Amino acid sequence: MDSPPFLRMSGVRKRYGGVTALDGADFEAHAGTVHAVLGPNGSGKSTLLKVLTGVVGPDAGQVRLDGAPLRPRGPRDTLAAGISSVYQELSLVEDFTVLDNLVLGVEPSRFGLRDRRAALARSLPWLERFAPAFGGRVPVRERVSDLDPGERQVVEVCKALVRDPRVLVLDEATASLRRGQVEVLFEVVDELRARGVLVLFITHRLAEIYAVCDRATVMRNGTDVATVTVAGTPEAELLELMSGRPSAGTSGSRRTAPVAETDTAPTAPARTDPGADPAAPPRLEVRDLTGDRLHGVSLHVRAGEVLGLGGLQGQGQSELMAALFGAGRRTGGTVLLDGAPVRPRSPKQAVRAGFCYVPGNRGVQGLALGRPILENLALPSVGRRALLGVGLSRRREVAAARAVAERVNTRYGSLDDPVSTLSGGNQQKIVVGKWFPTEPAVVLMDDPAKGIDVGAKAEMFDVVAELAASGAAVLVGSSDDRELVEVCDRVLVMFEGRVVDEVSGDRLTEDTLIASAMHVTGADVAAAHEGHPTRLPDPEPRHAEEGGA
Amino acid sequence: MNLLRGTGTRDLPGPVRSLLSVHMPALAVGLLLLVTVTASAILQPGFFSPYGLSASFATFLPLATIAAAQTIIVLGGGIDLSIGTIVTLSSAVSVVLMQGDDARLPLALAAGLATGAACGLFNGLVVAVLRLQPIVATFATSSVFGGVALLVLPTPGGEVSPVLTGTYRMVLAMYVPIPAVLLVVLFLSWRLLRGSRYGQHLYAVGGNAEAAYTSSVPVSRVRVLSYTLGGAVASLAGVALLADAGAGDPTLGTELTLGSIAALVIGGTRLRGGSGGVGGALVGAVVLSLIQGLVFFAGVPTNAREFVYGCVIIAAIALAGLLTARDGSASGASGGTR
Repeated sequence: MDSPPFLRMSGVRKRYGGVTALDGADFEAHAGTVHAVLGPNGSGKSTLLKVLTGVVGPDAGQVRLDGAPLRPRGPRDTLAAGISSVYQELSLVEDFTVLDNLVLGVEPSRFGLRDRRAALARSLPWLERFAPAFGGRVPVRERVSDLDPGERQVVEVCKALVRDPRVLVLDEATASLRRGQVEVLFEVVDELRARGVLVLFITHRLAEIYAVCDRATVMRNGTDVATVTVAGTPEAELLELMSGRPSAGTSGSRRTAPVAETDTAPTAPARTDPGADPAAPPRLEVRDLTGDRLHGVSLHVRAGEVLGLGGLQGQGQSELMAALFGAGRRTGGTVLLDGAPVRPRSPKQAVRAGFCYVPGNRGVQGLALGRPILENLALPSVGRRALLGVGLSRRREVAAARAVAERVNTRYGSLDDPVSTLSGGNQQKIVVGKWFPTEPAVVLMDDPAKGIDVGAKAEMFDVVAELAASGAAVLVGSSDDRELVEVCDRVLVMFEGRVVDEVSGDRLTEDTLIASAMHVTGADVAAAHEGHPTRLPDPEPRHAEEGGA
Repeated sequence: MNLLRGTGTRDLPGPVRSLLSVHMPALAVGLLLLVTVTASAILQPGFFSPYGLSASFATFLPLATIAAAQTIIVLGGGIDLSIGTIVTLSSAVSVVLMQGDDARLPLALAAGLATGAACGLFNGLVVAVLRLQPIVATFATSSVFGGVALLVLPTPGGEVSPVLTGTYRMVLAMYVPIPAVLLVVLFLSWRLLRGSRYGQHLYAVGGNAEAAYTSSVPVSRVRVLSYTLGGAVASLAGVALLADAGAGDPTLGTELTLGSIAALVIGGTRLRGGSGGVGGALVGAVVLSLIQGLVFFAGVPTNAREFVYGCVIIAAIALAGLLTARDGSASGASGGTR
């Protein structure tokens, strides 16, 4: 890379109140490369890219693009400079059709009226290019509200591409994509690289960095730590750079049995090996549960046990949790809690029965983002502290909330700050922690670690282990096999609404899970599987090799 | 994978589902129009006579125009509680300048339009730049505009130009009253606005202001302009009221504010913005006016009219709401488990 960098950011500083987000960060990237920006939560990588896209104004520092200084005052200016961003929080208008969203803000017009034909001419090539990601169709006139989250994310990508960028920012753009969709995206990224576009890529999935990125800049504590060539840098080294310490600790990349044990042992002394005491009565037992996408699920979880739900995405894992929590349809089967049948008809009844639910989509289902941390923490247990059922004492609410915040080790400014001021990882800890005071018997977690970084993920699963240690039965659904291997005692592999395999003990490795999810046993399901070749989870070839070694 | 999402229409293929949900409001308000027109034709003698049509459209037009004005503002995510007093103020300015003189008509109309636009601009700046809550801000400005109207025209009176009143009463080709023509012109102007980039940006800002901002839509400018356009269109309603009444009145339009909101809701416009349209609001206003006439012609005792009128409006809004309530795409926030 002898040519001068296409993008150069130098000495960028940004403070939010008392928090320093960027402390003199420098960043350089070249046209025609795919450049990853890595770092734990709060490392400043998001702020750095927000400065680039003009969403955040820096306190100090310079940005030069193609030799010219760039001082954007908003998305309009960066767009004019050729910078397009794919946002983590979607920037789509749900009521609009896909086509209207793609050209929003850049609508071509003739004689003062919008020119639909020109809009179509600009958009159609990209939608057609991404057709495999939409299941083969080209959803020009469908409304965004009718698309599923993965498809919306693909629309978001197309929207950035329609703007014909010189710099494309992909901020966690793959978090809600299925594997087939990621493949198409990476093909397009390769094409863009060949055309001289600079692609900046933020992700928490290391495998994706190795799959598509040329270079990577690691951020920590608001500044850049190192910029490396991806191909020449082993994964362990990247993790060390990110965490600033040898990767054996909470980083979780080197999953070997002893590490996993020391990881959770101090916080979860009561965690039992399921093989050790198979005679212990189950805390939660499900027999032949049927409902939406559920065709007879049976399982049991003992107190203190963490049971994983694995398999391909969309095989009924979410529906199972919803049915157990009284939020989804249940048409048959029994659910026994401590031996007694329970049938909650609403989440409220489920909570009263001793269930709690941690969604992956924390913004929508898990948190009141605009409300103070205090209220969010206190909400599920508020009825227990109310005087005569109505009177609340602020002092007691604060004490309860503070106890939880300490227990889950959340960093916050003031309990009165809105939850939205916390980082993603800390928000998710609130989502989990708020259930502590209700002393739940069963904890249901649906992809709880989606889109949070490695360190925060490890801390959050420490909280899960603690919940389990307090005697709860924990059920974790995840699309990330590595996550399941790290936190679960046993993992059930689901396929088309049934449990098709149970993996535990020595067999509990990423390899086995991937193999089990894809080569399901039983002739009927194997045949059915042929119809879904693209709906794979995210098996990460590199890790599979490592696990096998 | 939103587990709180209902099934229902999710089983239909995407395009069909989109079409249905897009056209449901139009079907609902169309049905209401059919019912009220049929009832009027039965109960109201001479409803379809040239005189009957002329009288009907003369009462439709002011409410329809103010409903159109309110719709433009609501679509952009705002609301304007001062819209009635904008009508009052602009008509007061017009009638004072007019002095019953046809030669002064153009000047008076231009001044009225400018007054309405200026009031709207003021609202827009207060809402979009000072970032005050629209409902409170425009409640306050409604007192301001109403107060100024009383200063301009302290008592009912003033003389409207004969040309204006004469034209308003004209009926073309036996069955086409001028107010009906103006209603069509209003609708066509709206279609033009809807087809422009601004029209699209208006819906985007009302639908998801943050998404619009990150897509480089000038959100504040769009908001300010929506209030300004709304004010200008409201002043046209003032002109229609003047032409209909033949004289000015410092309380002329005040009570129309809530009527404008009722009309747009019946017409299928979503109160939090981003969905609906002026077409529905125009029909909604016609339905609302017809209901008022029906209550009169159905022989409801004078004291009970207001009560019956209110009940019928509730029924109409409920019907429109029931027909347009979509499951699936609208659930997220409601958190229901159906």
